[in-house]
Amino acid sequence: MKKTAIDQLHELAAHLMEKGTLIAPIKEDAGFNFREISDAKNVDLTFHNTIISPKSAFFPQMEDFVRYQTGKNVPEAMPVELNLQPTFLFGVRPCDVKSFQIMDIHFSGTGAADPYWRKRREATTILGYAFDLDAPVQAEEFYRTLGIGAADPEGSDIFMIRKGEDLLLKSITPRGEKLLAQMSPLTEASADEEKYFEDYIIRGRDFKTRFTCVDDKTVAKKLENIFHNSDFWTKVSSACLSCGVCTFVCPNCYCFDICDETLFGRGTRRRVWDACMFTDFTLEASGHNPRTQVFQRLRQKVNHKYSYHVRKYGVISCVGCGRCTRHCPVNIDIYSIVEAALKV
Amino acid sequence: MSNINPYIPMPVEISRVIDEVDTHDIKTFRFTFLNKEDEANFKYLPGQFAELSIYGKGESPIGIASSPTEPGYVEFTVQRAGTIVPGLVTAALHDMNEGGKIGLRGPLGHSWPIEFLEKKNIVVVGGGFAFTTLRSLINYMLHKDNRKRFDEITVIYGARTPGLLLYKDELAEWEKRDDIKTVITVDKGDETWKGRQGFVPAVCKEVAPSPYNTVAVICGPPVMIKFTLPVFFELGFYKENILTSLEMRMKCGIGKCGRCNVGYKYVCSDGPVFSLAELDELPREF
Amino acid sequence: MAISFKQIEEKLKTEAKRLLKAGTVSVVLAYGKGYDENHPMPYVAKNASDVENIVFNEFCTYNMARYLVRYPRGTKIAIAVKAADSRAVIQLVHEEKVFREDLVVMGIPVYGMKNSKTGEEIDSRTTCGLYNPVLYDMLLGEEVHGQPVVSPYDVLAPYEAMDKDERFAFWKKEFDRCIRCYACRKACPMCYCDPCFIDQNKPKWGDKSPQSSGNLMYHLTRFHHLAGRCVDCGECSRACPVNIPLYLFHKKVARECQEMFGQSAGMSIQDKPVLVNFRVDDSDKILE
Repeated sequence: MKKTAIDQLHELAAHLMEKGTLIAPIKEDAGFNFREISDAKNVDLTFHNTIISPKSAFFPQMEDFVRYQTGKNVPEAMPVELNLQPTFLFGVRPCDVKSFQIMDIHFSGTGAADPYWRKRREATTILGYAFDLDAPVQAEEFYRTLGIGAADPEGSDIFMIRKGEDLLLKSITPRGEKLLAQMSPLTEASADEEKYFEDYIIRGRDFKTRFTCVDDKTVAKKLENIFHNSDFWTKVSSACLSCGVCTFVCPNCYCFDICDETLFGRGTRRRVWDACMFTDFTLEASGHNPRTQVFQRLRQKVNHKYSYHVRKYGVISCVGCGRCTRHCPVNIDIYSIVEAALKV
Repeated sequence: MSNINPYIPMPVEISRVIDEVDTHDIKTFRFTFLNKEDEANFKYLPGQFAELSIYGKGESPIGIASSPTEPGYVEFTVQRAGTIVPGLVTAALHDMNEGGKIGLRGPLGHSWPIEFLEKKNIVVVGGGFAFTTLRSLINYMLHKDNRKRFDEITVIYGARTPGLLLYKDELAEWEKRDDIKTVITVDKGDETWKGRQGFVPAVCKEVAPSPYNTVAVICGPPVMIKFTLPVFFELGFYKENILTSLEMRMKCGIGKCGRCNVGYKYVCSDGPVFSLAELDELPREF
Repeated sequence: MAISFKQIEEKLKTEAKRLLKAGTVSVVLAYGKGYDENHPMPYVAKNASDVENIVFNEFCTYNMARYLVRYPRGTKIAIAVKAADSRAVIQLVHEEKVFREDLVVMGIPVYGMKNSKTGEEIDSRTTCGLYNPVLYDMLLGEEVHGQPVVSPYDVLAPYEAMDKDERFAFWKKEFDRCIRCYACRKACPMCYCDPCFIDQNKPKWGDKSPQSSGNLMYHLTRFHHLAGRCVDCGECSRACPVNIPLYLFHKKVARECQEMFGQSAGMSIQDKPVLVNFRVDDSDKILE
């Protein structure tokens, strides 16, 4: 186990930047977000959690596929090469780390593997960061319901826990071990600090967030049963604006659109984030739209995350990070809809 | 290039354009691959589809209309989509002639389950424009190398008017054969039409295929499906033995973008072919 | 005079129950409990037992007028409105999205509202700054008097001091943050177009990807579509997850409109919509 002073965080960041690309939380106008760091001094760990989830490190909001020219005869298209440096994703909370594992199942675990997700995942070392167990629990979060501890190292390559003015770092995977051996400036942690680390992880498991644990198969089945109960769905979606904020901030939402964006004959085919909440998500060229009503789209969202994903991939597509509730313009609490469904 | 990255289309060239219907909004395009290795890798079975890609416009998922027994090219029958707002890709494609070059991503989706169909009687029921992948299936089954694998084949195909029937030449060829029973009907005939007149569900009732050891493959517009299925249930067909092909708005075609789901299944990667028994598990609305 | 949110809540519940029981309305658009006290939600009550869930506190900032277009015209609706919300109702009546006789407008005169996400006090810097609804069938509290009257355009001063290039640089920097979640559009009571221009692909007015060109196209066009219609409720800015100060642009456009045509959106039910109505003495400034 190693450690460094929080004061020296910038040196640690600068060192990682020399080795490759560093993606870490920085403070912005509206809150914190993960960004590619250009100035080590901007790295800031005084956050609770970011607005947009770190899925953007593997699944960026814009991913260019092909550069083309619209000519009369032969479109000369150049697929965009993904040239990645070794990447370090620094300061990811345990629930967000878990979200990567869930997204792995979708993007590279079944069917055709998504080359962009896979390449980025392979190039990245994850440095997870435990939640502060002494800070009051945030009302929106419920990751404990989904089996994730507040200081859960699972999925991280290196896991970090703050102790006073120090940051303790422990390698969890061989990849993390390799990196930790090369990182600087780090000093050896003492035996006490190692014990503190392990105890902290255990304490994290007892850290209570709201809602009680539920079995994902029970949830999936119940949602299936009430699919045609339009009264229920109309009622729970009466406040929903059907915008797209919940989808964009969610670490587990993966819907995307593929668009060709052209200007004066030259363009790029790229994929961009899309949301099943958008009115035109399922709009067909004939003009027919299977989901014209807000309640149908909200039903799709809730069902996808808590029912269809379970049926298809065996796990709920949610890690309880609470971003959807925190940033919803009308304060809708998605998981409370699931709870209400269980009571119908 | 194509197999490593499933998002990058392969270049193809239009070698033939056939105007299928008298309203001139449905055309069959025959494509040849510009790269020989793409052609070698493009192994498909009837029922699969591909994304036709035109840079600057977008992509459109279209069922493959040719049979894999026809080497050297791949055919798609494409309708110019959209009445109020024309679809970008199909409109651009319809404006192209022989020699035009576009991109192709595929083959995608699951095919008609050929193994499941072997040693059985097959009843193929199609309505209007939905006949494309059925034609692929029929030509595959009729091929001399394959015909023995299937028992009796019956085709029931209807369109609104004689001018709207697809593949008119092939239909005439099939009618001459004795190893396939071809029943063509139109909702409303014209002066030159000497064939049957009647809606597809009614014709199915008349033909009354036996359900024993038989699989029905049904594709058509929603209204046709709505009235045809009860006929087959009455005839005694089990839901596992009725197959259909679904359509939803698609983008990636490989089960990643999350758009085309019906319940927990993605129409592109878990379908588009489904048996009615499988569809029963899924929500009736989307 | 302190506002008693509890009293307003009681009156709101009483009136809602009365209207629903008597069958005068079938829907009541009000506010309800959210996941905790500081995070209420918009709430739709359809019967007497639903009414028990109605709340009113300083975080009930929602403009319920945006839900009016969801119901078929002719539905009898009671709606709880604050000052800017009532202006939105008037504007929607002018645009014939809802009939005045189908509405029971429950006005709430109030000040001291707070943004439930940031805790910030909401005043004329980010909204129209009025305290009393301009349209109502009943008032659920006493009219607010004696509060400081601040022009809703004061906040524009530093922005108006910029020259054209500085302003463009300012907005480009702001819109580089935009993630195209469209919360602003959906939160706005006036953005009811189906399809919205940005969703169309023939012609394609703007790109989908969250880059400057598409972002500027979307926002600048939306501001123009709202010229003379925006009621300065500030909901768009509150809805934005990345804190883009949309209210600045809307206020600027609203002020231009006020100066040119002597009228602001939704101030009086007698008015006609500004950019629809032709008067012989209309300003020609627009032609300069």
